[in-house]
Amino acid sequence: MRRRGRLYPVIWKELRDMARDIKTIAAIAILPLIMMPFMGLTSIYVQTLQQGVAVVINEDPGKIVIGDHVFTTQQLVNEIENALKSKGFIVTTHNVSRFDIKVIIPKGFRANISSFTRLALIRIIKAVGSTKANAGESAVASVLGSFAHEVAVAKVDYLGRLARVKVSPSSVLDPIIYTTTLVGPSGAAVSVVESFRVMLGRILAFSLIFVTTPSIAYITDSVVGEKERKTFEALLATPVPRWSIVIGKALSASLIGLATGLADAIGLLLFFAIPSMTYGINLLKLLTPTLLAAHVSAVYLSVLASLALILPIVIRSGSYRVAQAFSLAIIGVASIVFFIALYANIGALTPSLRYLLYVIPYSHAVCMIKQAVLGEVWNTILHSLILVGEIAVLLAIAVKLFSEEKIIYSKT
Amino acid sequence: MAGDGAAVRLRDVVKVFGKKVRALRGVSFEVPRGAIYGILGPNGAGKTTTLRIIATLVRHDSGYVEVLGHRLPDERNLVRGRISYLPEDAGLYHRLTGWENLLYFAMIYSDTLEEARRMAELGVKLSGLSERDIHRKASEYSKGMARRVALARALMVGAELVLLDEPTSGLDVFSAYSIRKIIKNFAKSSGATVLMSSHNMLEVEELCDRVILINKGSIVAEGEPAELKERAGAANLEEAFIKLVGGVS
Repeated sequence: MRRRGRLYPVIWKELRDMARDIKTIAAIAILPLIMMPFMGLTSIYVQTLQQGVAVVINEDPGKIVIGDHVFTTQQLVNEIENALKSKGFIVTTHNVSRFDIKVIIPKGFRANISSFTRLALIRIIKAVGSTKANAGESAVASVLGSFAHEVAVAKVDYLGRLARVKVSPSSVLDPIIYTTTLVGPSGAAVSVVESFRVMLGRILAFSLIFVTTPSIAYITDSVVGEKERKTFEALLATPVPRWSIVIGKALSASLIGLATGLADAIGLLLFFAIPSMTYGINLLKLLTPTLLAAHVSAVYLSVLASLALILPIVIRSGSYRVAQAFSLAIIGVASIVFFIALYANIGALTPSLRYLLYVIPYSHAVCMIKQAVLGEVWNTILHSLILVGEIAVLLAIAVKLFSEEKIIYSKT
Repeated sequence: MAGDGAAVRLRDVVKVFGKKVRALRGVSFEVPRGAIYGILGPNGAGKTTTLRIIATLVRHDSGYVEVLGHRLPDERNLVRGRISYLPEDAGLYHRLTGWENLLYFAMIYSDTLEEARRMAELGVKLSGLSERDIHRKASEYSKGMARRVALARALMVGAELVLLDEPTSGLDVFSAYSIRKIIKNFAKSSGATVLMSSHNMLEVEELCDRVILINKGSIVAEGEPAELKERAGAANLEEAFIKLVGGVS
């Protein structure tokens, strides 16, 4: 009888087994398909979807006259109401008790704002704990800023006329102007759209959080379940090499990752398409083939990394409980990396933290997407190669730790 | 290095789990090639540990183990392709059909898919399952049907040494009879060495040329069933076992 080190039978069996577990596969693949467009919707429309209550009280109705310029407090109220409505507020002028933000134009406002010696007061009251209130305050501040500028221009114009001096109000009020130019990694100027692309890169890197974990449960069951169902012992006495059991199971389970990656790519298209269709913002032009390929690869490699991280533990312990405890730890570490990806650039962190993060495979998946977003193809490939290397080391450890005796006698 | 006629040779084999549990306390025996040997003993006697050591799954702590002329554990990779092992309560992959369960193991032992198919066909014959049943999912099998497929999986690969751990444990009378029949026919036709463990005295008496009685990790007696009965002055093997181990504890 000849013995051969072969991977094929293990992968053949794992795939058949997997193909008949349609419910699990569907759940794993559908999750990113739903989550990605949902993220697209929520990240863009969340402010407008959130309903808030704003109260605008005008205690000093009437005209504000500065030289030839005439304003009204009602005009200010209208502008504040419009700004708050655009942020998803229900605006009322009645003094209700439950509100997110209240804006009061107090008595004496007109006298103060038309004065050349006093300051005019607007009172803003925010409900504690209201996340909507901050958005409302920023909208009101923007309106007040424009209104104050118009009043200031009127005052400068009036004073210039009284003094019989030729005055340009903007040279008095804004004597310094500055220009901003966006540059890409090469130093060349890029359009504003590029900054939006970078923001999307962060969201896409964060989206990896949804695809990294389901495969952990699958591989755990593939090893521990086989032991529990008493099929492992007979298999271990066959000439099938241990490395082909480990690699065969990992590669088969990673095909779930591939399915997830493809579903994720479709989700990604929806993520870009929904805002395009709804708001007329053409986000689809940001989705380059490099970004799409990098995203799918990052998804697949993140799944493989999760499998490679949990396999040594599962192989050594052969226990559901231990595997669950460690999978929680892996999910925790992954979440930290993905949250960092959302708010910071890993490559720009201090060296000690950066290199610590580079030890974690997920960091390279994040870097792959972020570099692809910037069009840095070589850096994308470099991070993917490092990630593949880390995965290979972890799988080699799993093979090294393989112990028939531990698997047979461990408690599931 | 290939040895002489013995398929299995154990000398003073000791296995301790943890610090306290001495599963085997110096077990020695030899199984000649082509023989059907039974390891008989109560639960916890060390039968499964002995079979697992021979099946290359567990490493012994001291002593000497040789299987088909190869020393264990060093030459375990040379042994694995020449033995087959049916663990106690061996399961099937429940999402695969009976045929696919057979084909999976056949592929491991074969060089081509064609060869694997022929091996699996032999497995179907050995199991005695109908064409319809063998293509049903294993999750739909009764315990007896599943055990017949698992046994066929172990027998079909053409191993020189077949290790069977409690092949009929937990089965009803009909299923156990059917399993015994399969083992008997296989042993007659294949010429392979069979080493099986059991706590069913009648089963061992019916199937085995020679019996090793084991209790609390030590061999109590070894011989042909008739010889053991005579030595103990017992009417059957069960009575002989009780007398030889020193009564019911």
